[in-house]
Amino acid sequence: MMTTASPAVGTDTVAASAWWRRWLPTPKMLILGVVGLVIGYLALVPLYYLLWGTFFDADGVSVAGFERAYGNSQIFELIGNSLWFAAGAAVLSLVVGTALAYLNVRTDVPFKALFFAASIVPLIIPGILYTISWILLASPEIGLVNKLVEPVFGSGTFDVFTIWGMIWVEGLHLSPIVFLLMVAAFRSMDPSLEESALMSGATRWQVFRKVTVPLARPAIVASILIMVVRSLESFEVPALLGLQNGIYVFTSRIYFVLRSYPPDFAAAGALAVGLLILAIIGVALSNIVGRSGKNYQTVTGKGFRPRPMELGKWRSVVGAGIILYFILTVIAPLVVLLYTSLLKYYTAPTLNVFKTMTLENYRELIGMSKAVTALRNSLILGIGSATLVMAFMAIAAWFVVRSRVRGRQVVDQLAFVPLVIPGLVLGLALSFVYLRSPIPIYGTLFILLIAYCTRYMPYGMRYAVTSMHQISSELEESAHVSGASWWQTFRRVIVPLLAPGLLAGWVYILVVSFRELSSSILLYSPGNEVLSILIFEQFEDGEFTVLSALGVVMVLTLILLVSIAYKLGAKVGLNRTN
Amino acid sequence: MRNRTVGTAITVSAIGLLLAACGGPPGGAGAGGDGSSAVEQHAKEVYDKLNGLTGKERTKELVRLAEEEGEVSIYTSNSDMDDVVEVFEDTYDIDVSVYRGNSESVLQRVLQEQSAGFYGVDAVETNSTELNVLNKENYLYPYESELRDKVREEGQAENWIASRFNVFVVGWNTNRVKPGEEPKSLEELAEPKWRSKVSLELDDVDWFAGMAEHYEEQGMSQQEIVDLFKRIAKNAKIVKGHTVQGELLSAGQFDVALSSYSHTIDKAADEGAPVAWRTSSGQPVEPVVIRPNGIGLTKTAENPAAATLFADFELQQAGQQVFEENFRIGSMPSDQDPLAGYDTVDVPGDFLASMKKWDRLYAEVVKGGTEVGGE
Repeated sequence: MMTTASPAVGTDTVAASAWWRRWLPTPKMLILGVVGLVIGYLALVPLYYLLWGTFFDADGVSVAGFERAYGNSQIFELIGNSLWFAAGAAVLSLVVGTALAYLNVRTDVPFKALFFAASIVPLIIPGILYTISWILLASPEIGLVNKLVEPVFGSGTFDVFTIWGMIWVEGLHLSPIVFLLMVAAFRSMDPSLEESALMSGATRWQVFRKVTVPLARPAIVASILIMVVRSLESFEVPALLGLQNGIYVFTSRIYFVLRSYPPDFAAAGALAVGLLILAIIGVALSNIVGRSGKNYQTVTGKGFRPRPMELGKWRSVVGAGIILYFILTVIAPLVVLLYTSLLKYYTAPTLNVFKTMTLENYRELIGMSKAVTALRNSLILGIGSATLVMAFMAIAAWFVVRSRVRGRQVVDQLAFVPLVIPGLVLGLALSFVYLRSPIPIYGTLFILLIAYCTRYMPYGMRYAVTSMHQISSELEESAHVSGASWWQTFRRVIVPLLAPGLLAGWVYILVVSFRELSSSILLYSPGNEVLSILIFEQFEDGEFTVLSALGVVMVLTLILLVSIAYKLGAKVGLNRTN
Repeated sequence: MRNRTVGTAITVSAIGLLLAACGGPPGGAGAGGDGSSAVEQHAKEVYDKLNGLTGKERTKELVRLAEEEGEVSIYTSNSDMDDVVEVFEDTYDIDVSVYRGNSESVLQRVLQEQSAGFYGVDAVETNSTELNVLNKENYLYPYESELRDKVREEGQAENWIASRFNVFVVGWNTNRVKPGEEPKSLEELAEPKWRSKVSLELDDVDWFAGMAEHYEEQGMSQQEIVDLFKRIAKNAKIVKGHTVQGELLSAGQFDVALSSYSHTIDKAADEGAPVAWRTSSGQPVEPVVIRPNGIGLTKTAENPAAATLFADFELQQAGQQVFEENFRIGSMPSDQDPLAGYDTVDVPGDFLASMKKWDRLYAEVVKGGTEVGGE
């Protein structure tokens, strides 16, 4: 293996020795080098596999995949639908996530405990269950909400099978990502800036618009970036909600070209390359925004105490809004799941149905021998990948934001690459490499860990970079002046300041890793089952009611875990009393 | 200066590592050829020996060799595999390890492993299309036994054997479709009265191919067939996945589901859901399309005897009974043949070769007459 440059060493002359010492990598360079290498390796393996499959076929270089992918009269309609859907979902999640985060961190809004659940639960419920819950709630034919409002508004008021329905479900499902990012951003923001604006006579709305939002711009840009790319590649919601009325999106094409045998990897790759280009532009843009100097560095040498803003007479109004939102996004789908999990088959609620309810599905779950193994493996992988990713990305974020190394942006770009690589392609790339690797990784839990770290690296990086943008370099400089080494500064100054962002990223990765299926399904081995495989099996077996029970159990387990994480996180995080 | 060195070193090393790890272009030939010989040779000897025996002699030798091996690895997309394995492990002193995925991931996993010279699987139990691909790639060893010869003719495939059939039926919600009003044929579902009341599944290309061939035999041209399905699609809500389709059918999201699995409907009906695929007099919408699912033994099996024993077991009474209990239709003809008297249609024999064509046509159909999957 190559390490950082260490050419042959001269032995006999003093000059040569000095020259040698000059080239000896410092610990800082070693650490940065290793982190850069790991990111490069994780990103390039699947990318290389993807690009090779896209541009090369039996006869050499070919762009036929692009023709098959894009050479279609309907591609513009598909892209149009996709953009509309992605933009809508991004805006909805951004507005909802930001508003909730702001209220939670910066005001004395009531029911703060609900926020926590409201922000996490939509993320925990597996996409397919969340979407089906919404069908059962808002389908014009059988939707429970529609039945509820029928006497007032007539039948079929809400229709989830429209582009608006798709935006609604996807936007709500994604809003926790924004919430977590924005909470971290608002926590690290000095409220004295807003207070001065208020003192100078600005209204609250003006302060929010002119001071708060501009200060949070790096987090907002990161949110938009992730949301847009995520919604562009989302397939679950468009497949379950869009198809019914013939709304096709860009990703349906990836699905179609991979469905047949032999799968058309060239065309799928060509489509992914389209997303890749978009993502590269996005990351570059987000860096330009973040780079505008010290504008966003709100964590400076000056101490601050984030004091909640008093909402005054609005407190009860906002409180009611929160309750409504909570009922709509968390309680309603969760109640549908809970209700379904107590039935033998789904049927609209009547008095008779309540009499037949049973805990049979939960009993079946407990009786499943694989359930315990799967839960254990998912915990190991979730905690493992979340911790590894956030640790590496914290260092990588310093490298990208703070160092002056030329080409540092490349690391940021590389870390984002896995977001556009289809899960199946990642699975194939990893099994290709590790089936041929002398290190026995194939068939172990470790290959799943590598897959998860790769998949979640982009999120980890966005969370870490966004927080890093907020930390002023003067803190590091003073640590340096006081004689601290780079590593000491990093551990004792930067990591504690980054803590809100790192914790948010950690929670996000932990939660979504429980759902990862598309690469796990190819890479797991007997005995190494994970929870998502179990969900898949129940789903394939048509056990929708057992699946609902599993969904309920997952929500409860992860809420518990995340609560613990936040309790612990509060201890190591930003000490707000100083 | 130093900083630049770090940057360059990272880039160079990453590429170096990557190339070292990949050792060449993806899709290139793996280690398959030479490393396989010993394993393959041993497997061939065992298979040949067993295939040369008959009757009790074969059974005795098979069980002895299989229990000597003591374990077997199966890759499957069969959702009832856990139940089969349970009975098998109770019967024989053999540990079964099961990898379960959807049929596509089973196929991709076997292809990846075999091309890399990694022999993780002894028997593959999945859908006909994927088994035919494995056979075409020359990864399967012929399975021979007296049991094989008794399997329904449609299930005696080249180098693999059907253990059960997926039966595509037209299912309906009995609350929404009253007795006497059930659809009589697929053609009927193209009529305006079924508008927004039927459902098509996004991926049932093999079902579509079977029905299309059936209509072709009836004298319809391809254009007429596609037109018929497009008219049905106009009435249809498109759903992805049979589980979702079954769930929404019983919830009443639509009245009729076109290519349901019979076992999905039977299982739901058994639990009390208001669904059926036969009228009270036992009449289904004909023809029903049947697709074999089966088991193939790999050429490079490390436990060839145990794999053979497992294939035998699936065809024997005990194995077939597990399928029956799960509302599946076994591949062995029985006294209570659930398909007896019904007009059945197979998925075309050359489905694999013409898959792209069917794929494109069906995509055109579900898109409501506009092309999405074009080549």
